[in-house]
Amino acid sequence: MMQNKLSFHQSSVSLEIIGLPDYSNNENKDQISIISQWKLTIIDKPLIEGKFEHLGPIMDAFYIYSNLLIKNEIPVYESKLIDIRADNLYMHNIVLKSSKPNIKPLVLKIGNSLLSDTINCFDQLNESSMVRIKETGLSNKIPKKLKFNLNYKNKFFNFIIHPFIAICSLIIFSSTLVYFYNSVEDKENNEFINSK
Amino acid sequence: MSRHSIEKLDLLLLILETIDLNGIQSIYAFSNRLNLNYILPNKVTIWKLRNNNPLRKSYVNNNIKLDQFDALIKITVEMSRYLYPYIREVLQSKEDIDINSIVWNDFNKRFIELIKERLNVDSMRVKKFLNQTENEEFIINSLLTLSLCISNKGHQKLKNFLIDF
Repeated sequence: MMQNKLSFHQSSVSLEIIGLPDYSNNENKDQISIISQWKLTIIDKPLIEGKFEHLGPIMDAFYIYSNLLIKNEIPVYESKLIDIRADNLYMHNIVLKSSKPNIKPLVLKIGNSLLSDTINCFDQLNESSMVRIKETGLSNKIPKKLKFNLNYKNKFFNFIIHPFIAICSLIIFSSTLVYFYNSVEDKENNEFINSK
Repeated sequence: MSRHSIEKLDLLLLILETIDLNGIQSIYAFSNRLNLNYILPNKVTIWKLRNNNPLRKSYVNNNIKLDQFDALIKITVEMSRYLYPYIREVLQSKEDIDINSIVWNDFNKRFIELIKERLNVDSMRVKKFLNQTENEEFIINSLLTLSLCISNKGHQKLKNFLIDF
């Protein structure tokens, strides 16, 4: 059976996805749902290719790493399959580890321009209606929107918790004063003032 | 909108203006192209909104509405998409500085000129932008942010980044 091939390009990087449509889901013959192979070509760098199960974790690695970079956090990402760390402000060191034994890891050095090209290729793949990528099951698959919502809830909780504790402690403190208040003595004092 | 989000967005627009010499006109043209005239009817409105950046010389604390903030994000994303080859070139120029130092130096000079023109130079944070060695990290970070938001969902990406900032 002929396999479908789709390519996504951004400046010096191109991503090729090879696979088949899922006919059991009545999909179009041009669609790719069962990815058998992918190839990431970066100009002047060795070809990166792998099976479907490697694509998700590699894409996640790039996304997480770029988020760390733009949020000024320590730019280091490490996993069983891929390590990415910054050499300096402009260069990034990528180590791709093979799942097969006795194969040396592939080390690449890419600059910010190639990093953004690569991520833009992944974005095109994610947004393409022609390719359906199943969830990889990785912990970082929470959609960004949801991440923000969770964050927002946390921020709201932090905002509301301090006044809430303050009001509660004020109520508890003032309610203990009831035990020190002697209403009979207070009445006598009032009568004494009135008689004067 | 938090002060930091507006500040960051205005600075990203300033980076785009550093690349596009006719930046103010381009921002307005993109606003028209994206049919945002009902939110941003003229250049003065855009200028007033951008003056919510506390680092500005003419800082005014008007309450910027969500749709106005959203409109500015859409313009930023659209401009980044349009200027991507140039953004990429500036990023690349820093990677091999020996070969391509002219691009980086020109960009940095123009950025400093714009900062002097628009921002309050008495502020300690703005002073950092004026120093060619200290502003490097900020420029690279901003260019990278812009270059990562050029996809169709770039608007949502940039919005998440700015609101989370």
